[in-house]
Amino acid sequence: MTGMNTIGPGEYVIGTRALTKRYGDVLAVNDLTLRVPRGGVFGFLGPNGSGKTTTMGMLLGLVHPSSGEARIFGDPARHPATLRRVGAMVETPTFYPYLSGRANLRYFQAIGRRGSPADIERLLTLVDLGKRADSKFATYSLGMKQRLGIACALLGDPELVFLDEPTNGLDPAGVVEVRELIRELGTGGRTVVLSSHMLAETELVCDNVAVLSRGRLIAQGTIKELLREHDSLRLHTTDDAGAQTVLAALPWVEGVTQEDGGLIVTAPQDRSWEIARALADRQVYVSELVPLHRTLEEFFMEITGTDPTTGRERT
Amino acid sequence: MIAHIANLTVWEWFKLRRRWMLWILLVFALLFAQLAVWGAFFSYRNVQETGGELTVPATLQQQQGRVPRTVRCNDLLSGEASRRPADLDAQVVAGLTAQCRQQATTLPARLARTYDTFTLPGSIPNALNTVQTLGLILVAILTASAIGIDYGAGTLRSVLTQGTGRWPYLTAKFVTLAGLTALGLLVAAASVALSSAVASGLAGAAPLGAGVAATWSDAGVALWKAWVSILPYIALTAFVTVVARSSAAGMAIGLGYYFAEQLIVALLSNFFSWFQNIADYLLVRNISGWTGGTGGFPGAVLPDQTHAIVVLTVYTVVLGGIAFWLYERRDVQGATGGG
Repeated sequence: MTGMNTIGPGEYVIGTRALTKRYGDVLAVNDLTLRVPRGGVFGFLGPNGSGKTTTMGMLLGLVHPSSGEARIFGDPARHPATLRRVGAMVETPTFYPYLSGRANLRYFQAIGRRGSPADIERLLTLVDLGKRADSKFATYSLGMKQRLGIACALLGDPELVFLDEPTNGLDPAGVVEVRELIRELGTGGRTVVLSSHMLAETELVCDNVAVLSRGRLIAQGTIKELLREHDSLRLHTTDDAGAQTVLAALPWVEGVTQEDGGLIVTAPQDRSWEIARALADRQVYVSELVPLHRTLEEFFMEITGTDPTTGRERT
Repeated sequence: MIAHIANLTVWEWFKLRRRWMLWILLVFALLFAQLAVWGAFFSYRNVQETGGELTVPATLQQQQGRVPRTVRCNDLLSGEASRRPADLDAQVVAGLTAQCRQQATTLPARLARTYDTFTLPGSIPNALNTVQTLGLILVAILTASAIGIDYGAGTLRSVLTQGTGRWPYLTAKFVTLAGLTALGLLVAAASVALSSAVASGLAGAAPLGAGVAATWSDAGVALWKAWVSILPYIALTAFVTVVARSSAAGMAIGLGYYFAEQLIVALLSNFFSWFQNIADYLLVRNISGWTGGTGGFPGAVLPDQTHAIVVLTVYTVVLGGIAFWLYERRDVQGATGGG
């Protein structure tokens, strides 16, 4: 990344350059250079321990980088004036257990000088906590704590919102509500940075994603672009062995494997007609050609080397 | 920046006043302050009624198997046979009577001194001196709890992401704690003043020589000194709480240090004469030197006030400074689960 100081308010809301965090021998975040465009929902993905929360911590001034630079709106990320334009819910929301939900919001609103008391009522209604707003936070269920955390992150109508696993502990209806809320938040110029393990949810709401693995950025772009990069097709032909030879010679075909009595070809789906023509030119005829649509989850598992059964990175 | 810290201080008070602990600590402080007033009042009444009491050891009593008992000087000096203790040997009674006559010469001064400790304005310095130890302990609990909760509940993360800034937030906590300590002392002094008024009414006419032990200005100075003496203790507890990221550790050290210092000074001073020089730079000893109390060092030569205030200032600045430095520099983690 060059000239991060030149990141203008109209382009990127977050920019990091060679951001690194080391805990002793453990490299939690390694040379991370990232840009988050203004507006929309940005997915921040990675297996457990990949460095997502540490990166968020560095952006929010909670964690000191070992080296590198982090900026929000072009300003140093940890600057209090910058943070007042940002809302955040990092990991499990933490509030004062002896205060009610309403009192907690009132407190955080006041210390951050974020909006008016009327906003609190609006936010409590928005996250469906109106009826329990006067109960002590200590009595809240995990789902209610999450909702209060979201409400707190939205105090003062921030331009940038960090939401770390916002659907943790929510029931299915709550997950849908929060998904809709996040989608709505990402409109009108506001940026939402969403960190989630729920990849299906992420795919539904995110415009852009960045994938971290072992502290390094391994992919970034729009979901459409990322999934397209790894497009594949399933082929049934009159001569699979001959087809493999023909396809392997095409420079834009990334790979050909034999599976389930057919061929899986990793190649851009919009070039499928070229595949059919190349094969026909060598007297190999296509009986079936099906574009395979991969999900973000499959993409994620593949590029991070995550074990689908445990959700952890394979060593 | 001052407005920002003032705002944070107001909202720190918002949080603290909703905790039972604050009010329980205040009740304890008030109870001890009252104990100082009423303890002195009942002591005065007792001396007034009995003319002083003498303890008669079991060995001087005629019947075997007795336990030590007391006799009233007023009974012995009355000259009435019916009031003389019948179970004591005449020689013993004569000896006790002689002791009572001797005591009677100092009785008016003793009564005047005691009277001054439960009537205004002398009752205020007396009560503050009595509750000094407890005050330090209560403040240690309050400080550790006010700072430690952000580690235990993990709320420091939520606070800092609001853009409060680290040092303004910790400054607001110090200001709130110092302010609450001042307020607590004023409330305790007010309650002492109220009960002093009642006690002096109950005590009747002032004895000869009363009303000279302390002036209103002495009461003000005692309040000021009590408040100043608590500040280094706030710094000590805050330092430990921040270092350990735990209110429990802050409370343990805050409570334990007071007694540990006295124990160490008593032990080591007996073995090594040079340790007395080191002891003159320890915290509690200088708090006692500054306030003019005994602070658990009965009979000891305490540091003079100038020495004491310099040492206390150094403690406050160094311990507070390290606490700020660590607070500013450290990474903020999630909840540790403590209070």
